Amino acid sequence: MILFSGKKGKVVFIAALTLIGIFILCSLGFASEGGGHGGADGSQRLWDLGARFLNFAILVIILFVVIKKTDVKDFFSGRRAEIGQKFEDLKKERDAAEGRFRKLEDELKAFETKKKEIIQQFEAEGVAEKKKIIAEAEERARQILEQAGLTIQREIQAAKDRLAMEMVEAAAQRAQGIIEKEITDSDQDQLVNEFIERVEKLH
Amino acid sequence: MIGSKISSRYAKALFSLGQDDGHYEEYGQNLNEFVGFCSANSEFIRVVSNQIFPVEDRKKVLEAILEKSPFSDVVKNFLRLLVDKNRIAAIDGITDYYSRLTDEFSNITRADIITAKPLKTKALDNLKRALTGLTSKDVRTDVKQDGTLIGGLIVKIGDLVLDGSVRTQLEGLKESLKRGEYN
Repeated sequence: MILFSGKKGKVVFIAALTLIGIFILCSLGFASEGGGHGGADGSQRLWDLGARFLNFAILVIILFVVIKKTDVKDFFSGRRAEIGQKFEDLKKERDAAEGRFRKLEDELKAFETKKKEIIQQFEAEGVAEKKKIIAEAEERARQILEQAGLTIQREIQAAKDRLAMEMVEAAAQRAQGIIEKEITDSDQDQLVNEFIERVEKLH
Repeated sequence: MIGSKISSRYAKALFSLGQDDGHYEEYGQNLNEFVGFCSANSEFIRVVSNQIFPVEDRKKVLEAILEKSPFSDVVKNFLRLLVDKNRIAAIDGITDYYSRLTDEFSNITRADIITAKPLKTKALDNLKRALTGLTSKDVRTDVKQDGTLIGGLIVKIGDLVLDGSVRTQLEGLKESLKRGEYN
């Protein structure tokens, strides 16, 4: 029992027990088979079994030696540390990603706020521009109406003047026609005499 | 303008000669007769003033007329000079200017009278007297008739225009009405 103390001893002990167990089980199997056929070739089979067992034992020993030489425990402990480190890294990455996510979320909120502000500003500017355009249009309409009023007044005055001119022309034509028809030699004499009197007054 | 200057220069030269020898009125009459002849014989003045023909030939034509004319020698020489200098075409302007110089020298003024109807003799005499009083010169009248005046008359003495026509009065009335002076 002292030989099998410690961690290493336990492993050797378990391996030895396993081999003995396998050997017993194999012997029982062959014994039951040999009872059925008689004892003619029983020793031959036993030898075959022993060779196989030996073969298997050598394989187990080789495996044991190889595993021992290659430090499987260190490998698995290293692997575990590596996985733990990787897990830690992934956790850090996850934390960083979460941080970035929160940052982006904050930025998105800020962007949304900014967007609302811009939209509100544009809406306010649009309303102001609309008011300005309406005011300008109203002013322009007022000017057009005023101009139209002045134009109408001018046209009316021009029409009045034109009518007056036509009336004067017609009256003058009519007067000339009457005078041409009615003027006599005595009228001419009177006109000449008046002319002479006016010339004499110029002396 | 150039033609007017040429006419005045030649007219003044001839009038100066006439003043010197005292025959300026005769020279004026001769010029008027020559202009009358030219008006009656437009072919003659066209030939004499046409520079296509040689001067000698034109002078021969002029000479043929002058030989039969009673013009004074001074006027004949004056007309020859005009042909020599290619100024015979300006004879109308020269004669007009000469007449004005003569009238001015003789204290005579010319009045163009345009009347709507024929003037009676008494009215014309009265008008002459009034114009003489106005200009302080002896007035010689040239009366023309123009029915478009409707009535009255117009007198032109140099730049002075005295308008007593009905047509002008009607125009004045019309302009006054257009300006709205009778509103």
